[in-house]
Amino acid sequence: MDNHKPSKDLFVPVDTTNDESDKITRPSLSFWQDSFIRLRKNVGAMIGLFVLIILTVMAIFGPYMNEYGEYDQDLSRSKMPPKVEGLGWLGMDGMLTDVQSADTLERAQEKALMRFNNQDEFIETEVLNDGSNGEKAEVQATYDVYAAKGMEENFWFGTDGLGRDQWTRTWIGTRVSLYIAFLAAAIDMLIGVTYGGISAYYGGRVDNYMQRFIEILVGIPNLVLVILMILILEPGILSITIALAIAGWISMARIVRGQILKLKNQEFVLASRTLGAKDNRILQKHLIPNVLGLIIINTMFSIPSAIFFEAFLSFIGLGLPTPMASLGTLINAGFQSLQIYPHILLFPAIIISLIMIAFNVLADGLRDAFDPKMRE
Amino acid sequence: MTRYIFQRLIYMVITMFLIATLTFFLMKFLPGTPLSAADKLSEEQQAVVLEKYGLDDPVPVQYFNYMVGLAQGDLGISFQFDNREVTNIIMERIGPSMQLGIQAMVIGTIIGMLLGLVSAIYHNGPLDYTSTFLAVLGQSIPSFVFAGLLQYYIGVKFGWFPVALWEGWEYTVLPTVSLAIFPIAIAARFMRTEMLEVMGSDYIVTARAKGVNKFGVVFKHGLRNALIPLITVLGPLAVGLMTGTLVIENIFAVPGIGEQFVKAINMNDYPIIMGTTLLLAFMFIFIILIIDLLYGVIDPRIRLAEGE
Amino acid sequence: MKKTNWLLLVLALVLSMFLAACSGGSDESSDSADSGEDTTESDSSDEASGDSEQVLNIMDTAEIPTMDASLATDAVAFQWLGSTTDGLYRLGENAQPEPGIAKSHEVSEDGLEWTFELREDAVWSNGDPVTANDFVYAWQRAVNPDIGSEYGPYMMGGVIKNAAEIADPESGMPVEELGVEAVDDYTFKVTLEKPVPYFESLTTFGTFLPLNQKFVEEQGDQYALEADTILANGPFKITEWNHGEGWTLEKNEDYWDAENVNLDQINVKVVKETATGVNLYDTGEVDRVNLTSEFVDQYRTSDDFQIAEKPVLFYLKMNQENEVLGNLNARKAIQMIIDRQSMVDVILNNGSIPSVGHVPQNFTKHPETEEDFREINGDLVETNKETAQELWSKAKEELGVEEVELGYLGGDTETALDMDAYIKDQLEELEGLTVTVQSVPFKERLARDENMEYDIQNSGWGPDYIDPNTFLNMFITDGGNNKTGYSNEEYDSMIEKANNELAQEPVERFETFLEAEKMLIQDDAVLAPLYQRALAQLWKPYVKDVIVNPMGPDYTYKYAQIEGK
Repeated sequence: MDNHKPSKDLFVPVDTTNDESDKITRPSLSFWQDSFIRLRKNVGAMIGLFVLIILTVMAIFGPYMNEYGEYDQDLSRSKMPPKVEGLGWLGMDGMLTDVQSADTLERAQEKALMRFNNQDEFIETEVLNDGSNGEKAEVQATYDVYAAKGMEENFWFGTDGLGRDQWTRTWIGTRVSLYIAFLAAAIDMLIGVTYGGISAYYGGRVDNYMQRFIEILVGIPNLVLVILMILILEPGILSITIALAIAGWISMARIVRGQILKLKNQEFVLASRTLGAKDNRILQKHLIPNVLGLIIINTMFSIPSAIFFEAFLSFIGLGLPTPMASLGTLINAGFQSLQIYPHILLFPAIIISLIMIAFNVLADGLRDAFDPKMRE
Repeated sequence: MTRYIFQRLIYMVITMFLIATLTFFLMKFLPGTPLSAADKLSEEQQAVVLEKYGLDDPVPVQYFNYMVGLAQGDLGISFQFDNREVTNIIMERIGPSMQLGIQAMVIGTIIGMLLGLVSAIYHNGPLDYTSTFLAVLGQSIPSFVFAGLLQYYIGVKFGWFPVALWEGWEYTVLPTVSLAIFPIAIAARFMRTEMLEVMGSDYIVTARAKGVNKFGVVFKHGLRNALIPLITVLGPLAVGLMTGTLVIENIFAVPGIGEQFVKAINMNDYPIIMGTTLLLAFMFIFIILIIDLLYGVIDPRIRLAEGE
Repeated sequence: MKKTNWLLLVLALVLSMFLAACSGGSDESSDSADSGEDTTESDSSDEASGDSEQVLNIMDTAEIPTMDASLATDAVAFQWLGSTTDGLYRLGENAQPEPGIAKSHEVSEDGLEWTFELREDAVWSNGDPVTANDFVYAWQRAVNPDIGSEYGPYMMGGVIKNAAEIADPESGMPVEELGVEAVDDYTFKVTLEKPVPYFESLTTFGTFLPLNQKFVEEQGDQYALEADTILANGPFKITEWNHGEGWTLEKNEDYWDAENVNLDQINVKVVKETATGVNLYDTGEVDRVNLTSEFVDQYRTSDDFQIAEKPVLFYLKMNQENEVLGNLNARKAIQMIIDRQSMVDVILNNGSIPSVGHVPQNFTKHPETEEDFREINGDLVETNKETAQELWSKAKEELGVEEVELGYLGGDTETALDMDAYIKDQLEELEGLTVTVQSVPFKERLARDENMEYDIQNSGWGPDYIDPNTFLNMFITDGGNNKTGYSNEEYDSMIEKANNELAQEPVERFETFLEAEKMLIQDDAVLAPLYQRALAQLWKPYVKDVIVNPMGPDYTYKYAQIEGK
């Protein structure tokens, strides 16, 4: 046996001071750091984020960019179309156009002028159809509202029915809607995720009771809750906040629960538990991150729901008390004049759509960033 | 399983009872009376009218009477439509709302899921962007603005479908489309998210490696996994749509229950508020039960509260 | 087949997406440019079936709450009760009562006993003749505490003998004591509590319509709930009633005056949105639509455009129990600060006129000179911002306050939001005044009015009969509709005098009302008048001879006809 003992000289100690094999070549990143890096690489998401930041900045500073106040009324300048110097080609030229038709050309001319109060010097008429071909005569009238009213300054987004500056009100309204959006997201994240997570993870009796509680909450219509709030607190942002807080998180809780029910019996959870991980840790480190994609997507749906819920309340007269503005109330007010003064509706609708699209694109990016499987 | 269902049915009854109780007392908090000309009547005369509706009894007695009636399926008499039974009123109004809701759900879910699938399969391609854009647009335009545009262009300008009213299937087209927008958006987004998630998982990679084609994988393995979050969200949404949406009903002059409900709230018509609330709650709870049961069917790994 | 439907749907969806995007991108020019063409297109649509078919298609904004005359309380109910049932008299042209079931009547010298002679050819739609008993039964039912009518005691109390007592269950007085009597089948005698000069006008009101006792009792609590549990004795009968959706009236061939009824059918649909109504009008589905201010701009030039004046007043009620509003100068300042002209021109934009008193224009005339009430009393309030500020500072001085906060309970018409915002803005021009708008559900608003839990309230009032009394008696001390805390003995005694001693003296009575109005608005500034309502409407030109009423049913369709559709 001894003969076969290799010579010690054959062995050279490994140089342990400079071991490459154990070295982590990539920088050590926490889950969040890693996600953030990937998020930054996502162009769409960054655009979304950028739009949101712009909108937020505009919501903060936009109202101060002209001299009109949020509530400054002047009926003599009501329903002015938008006008921005240099943007006339976009239709923001402060003109109103209307086509009138009648059996005879004269009558159509007359109606075209009458449409804008017969202020001849500010109206240009153009004959679209002189009626000679058997069809009705059509005359298009273009009316220079700003000149007719002797208006020097421009209203970038036009004015509403009471002559309030739509630019100022739109940005003030954006504030309210962004507040509601963030509020809804926060409620979803905090209450909804926790509730659903706990309910599903512990299961059994806990799940049973927690779900029955949700059913009761779902069963009582939001509207009844809101009306109670309004009667107790007076209508306003606070009652809407509370109503949202009471009922806004339920869908999220249900989704998280559904996903965690699916995940909690999977092997990696078992493994983690075998290794002695506490419930808290399993929930936070394993389950929630795996549901994160859905959480984000669902949040993106509670945001519009919340914004529209506020709009709906305004629609039935229980929302923000007039004259306060939110995008919801502005859109409601504009809806009536959709066919004739679309600018009242248009700008708030564009802003609300921008908010939604930005949130969505950002959410998609976040989803991809947080998904451990998407890691390269 | 039977035991579990049985247990849930019992809970259902208890939950309904709790909701009925809670709503009943919430109603009592709402100020005002059902009288329409209260300011014109002397106090004695008001008392007479209140007595007619049984509102002069002490609240516990009213509560007891209501619960007894409820157990027999009697929801009482409406305040604003004299002498008309709430059960009848709700039955008349729920029909159109249900029809629109179901049509919108079916169409919305199918279109939405297709959009979502396309998005997921062609992830980050032009098709993905288009369908995502459509979904986001659908979600961000307020439904009444969309409905107004539909009505004006499709109804008035092109005259393809009736502008409003409720007189046949063609009258349901525009409101259905308006209602379907939100489910389309939701279905598309959830489908996409879940499909992407699933398609990255090992068993799909395995299936793909074994030569199953892209679409086969998607339908066989992907769909099933994506269904869980989808039904969780769409179930309650379906109930929401079926129980009426005031705005769409108003715009298309549909005699649905959403409009009825809001009016009842404005008119302090407690019996109708209560009746509608209970119906709504019942549908929600029922759908939730179905969804919970479906969890197990769709994904056998999920075990519910049984035996713990 | 199914597949094509599907495709259509998808197509519609995709198209509408595009349209949404298009109209979002361009500005108003493209949108409003289209509007002029609508009518041309719609006329050629398939609706125009048959020449001058006598069918009227209209819409209402709400479902009929009840067709039971004793229980009816709102405009929709009174409208359709009036179209299906004739009372003693009906409202004719210019709100003049014209014979209904009563051919004529005699009034006793003291003005207390009215004897109506009924026509013998009037029948119910089940064949029963309409007799004096039907009136006795209906009127007794209206005040019967067991029925729980709201309008019965209100309309009859203090007018018909014993009505108020019977309606009070405490008194235990049987309904038979009511001052009505069927002398014979076709003679109906009414005994009044006191002389009521406007009683003839009152008999056209819905609560005073007859009921067929046998039929009502047969139907029990199902009476008037469905089309087949109602009887008609008027120009039309309801043949179909789909709750929430609409109802159909057909000509009542058994009507005593059937030869003067031209329409064969009236279809009514429930439509709540103005925009929807306008679109339905454009596609020819309805023959009339009411416009809100935005649509007035669009349709003002249309040949179908009409304005219907209404004797309905809107005004601000000021709660005098509030310390500030208890001050006369403060109230006067509020009256004067509001620019009514701009309000009716821009916000309402529907032909409404500024209101300057508490009796509407073109409502009652001086019995001798035939001059309009409004014309004689003239403008009792004016807009004068400077005087208003002066009065306001005086008020603040008297009260020893600098800053004032007032709540404002809003209205609930379609223009309410803009109106509320405007009034808030106008009021806040008064230095140091902050106004908080409170929007609450409809019934809650009534409750707050009832309990006087408001500071300022936007309120409206339409007449129940043609007489200044319907407006002016509201504000007697502790009057059921007063609710402002206003109490002035002198005012009370004037109204009292007008309704008792002067009941038989039309000229003095009228002049007393003139005095009373001056006191109410000018001297005591109880209200801040806002506007007198008008409706801007589109009427299809082929609809003729619809009478617009100031009170009771909004329209009389009895003589209406379709011509040259």
